[in-house]
Amino acid sequence: MTPAIEVRDLRKRYVTHRGVIRRTRSENVALGGISLAIQPGELFGLLGPNGAGKTTATKILTTLLLPDSGSASVLGLDVVRQTSAVRRRIGFVFGGERGLYWRLSGLDNLRYFADLYGIAPDVSRRRIAELLDRLGLTGRERDKVEHYSRGMKQRLHLARGLLNDPEVLFLDEPTIGLDPVGARELRMLIRELADAGKTIFLTTHYMFEADAICDRIAVIKKGSIVAEGTPRSIKQLVEDLGIVEFEAAGVSPERVRTLRQLPGVSSVSVVEHEMNQTVTVHCVRPADVMTQLGVILEGIQLQRVSSRDPTLEDAYVQLVGEGET
Amino acid sequence: MAYVRAAAAAFYVSMRLRFISGFAIMGFLIFPLILAAVGLFVLNRPGTTATQWTYGLLGGGLIGYWGIVYLDAGNGIQVERWNGTLEQIFAVPTPLWVIVLGKALGGLVWGMLSFIPTIALAYFGFHALLPRLDPGPFAISFTLLTFSFLAMALSFSPIFAMWRWAFTMVNGFELGTYVLCGFMFPITILPAWLQAVSGLLPPTWGTRALYAATTAEGSHDFAAWWVTTIVLSFVYIGLSVWLFHLVDRRARATGELALV
Repeated sequence: MTPAIEVRDLRKRYVTHRGVIRRTRSENVALGGISLAIQPGELFGLLGPNGAGKTTATKILTTLLLPDSGSASVLGLDVVRQTSAVRRRIGFVFGGERGLYWRLSGLDNLRYFADLYGIAPDVSRRRIAELLDRLGLTGRERDKVEHYSRGMKQRLHLARGLLNDPEVLFLDEPTIGLDPVGARELRMLIRELADAGKTIFLTTHYMFEADAICDRIAVIKKGSIVAEGTPRSIKQLVEDLGIVEFEAAGVSPERVRTLRQLPGVSSVSVVEHEMNQTVTVHCVRPADVMTQLGVILEGIQLQRVSSRDPTLEDAYVQLVGEGET
Repeated sequence: MAYVRAAAAAFYVSMRLRFISGFAIMGFLIFPLILAAVGLFVLNRPGTTATQWTYGLLGGGLIGYWGIVYLDAGNGIQVERWNGTLEQIFAVPTPLWVIVLGKALGGLVWGMLSFIPTIALAYFGFHALLPRLDPGPFAISFTLLTFSFLAMALSFSPIFAMWRWAFTMVNGFELGTYVLCGFMFPITILPAWLQAVSGLLPPTWGTRALYAATTAEGSHDFAAWWVTTIVLSFVYIGLSVWLFHLVDRRARATGELALV
């Protein structure tokens, strides 16, 4: 079967210049040669920290960016040379509130984009009504977008992305900034679209999101794919690890370094909260680490210590490294 | 047919956005009125010739007209970029130039409204009328001037999208055109070298023909001015087509479409 999306050794770097008199040039490698094949009807998740290359990959596949080298095709069409044909058959949604005409109504936004997609008026009328209904915007379609909630704006984005009934849908962090209920509703919609046969390419850095809805995922780090498989197979990468997690206040970088140097510890991540810190230790023998905690953290009051099995998020932390989640 | 519908949609949306924008209303109503009022006050003295009154009468409207067309089309890509909609309209099957053309046509209609307040001010405030209007040449000249505005604005649009240094000059180009194209006074009072620059701008010839159609004074070489306007406008349109292709390649190479 021909893959719906095929990427081979895709590379992209950004060149920036600074200064006027002493002009300096710097290069940032966004994609260092990634390869992927996504089958029709698959819901594929690309996970990675900020700046890993997720958005660059999405923009190349949606014809918004040119790669420096390598090849990428969507539905068998080259994204560099056959841009118009690709654009007719794909939809895309980028996260965030921008990208809509806020002073127009939701309906006017959709009508405008339907015309820009060259959709016949009778088809667009029917499809817009269907999409408004499906995305829960019926009744509010004549309100200006500026009066929409963030969740409604994101659903309007999704409606716009589906206007041309695309075979492949690209979603770049679609649930970013949404409240938990709105995000869950959107995830359910995305899953429904995949179940209805659409190929979906989703980027996210929410592990539970990928775990919940993706058929297959790839983890990208600094422009390279570091793991690829089903969420279950990715979790298996760290199944021999255990996780020790504790909350404390005032854990210094020196003590974190000491923790990292313990035998069997593969990574330590620290999340700073307003009043305390959550420290997560990935290790081979959790019991040994818990024994050592009292010594290393002497004088610090531990608020909660627990040991648990690894999740996809732990696998992700392990793959992308500490401090990059 | 799909392109016509897309351009019409861009036209409609640009008009809708203007109707609800205070800035757009200022652009067609207040600014031309201020400029026309200044010009008419200066001219409102004994000895003012019919030709001078004509410049006062039409100049404010022309300035408003050009300002709206230029800022709408020239600034069109930048505004979409600021809205975060540039990537959305760039990634549709309709070429960007079709969308910008639709928006620019909206600017032309809106820009023509600039003549209403300025001519009303001249008539009611100063009892000024066009001394002798030759309707045929006036209509042709106005149509060709409109075409030249469109050509100029379309060629500025990709330039501003591509080069930030050019965008910092946005107001300079707008005001420079007032002077160089002779909207408020004949370009013959400019230094010779500057007149040569004026000669390269298509609205210069359309403006000249327009003013000639309102007075019996001076030469009336309409055919030559119209042909020059058309030829230069097509040169600018050719330039803009090339620049739009360049924008397409460059924006996709550098990823500048999403610039905030």
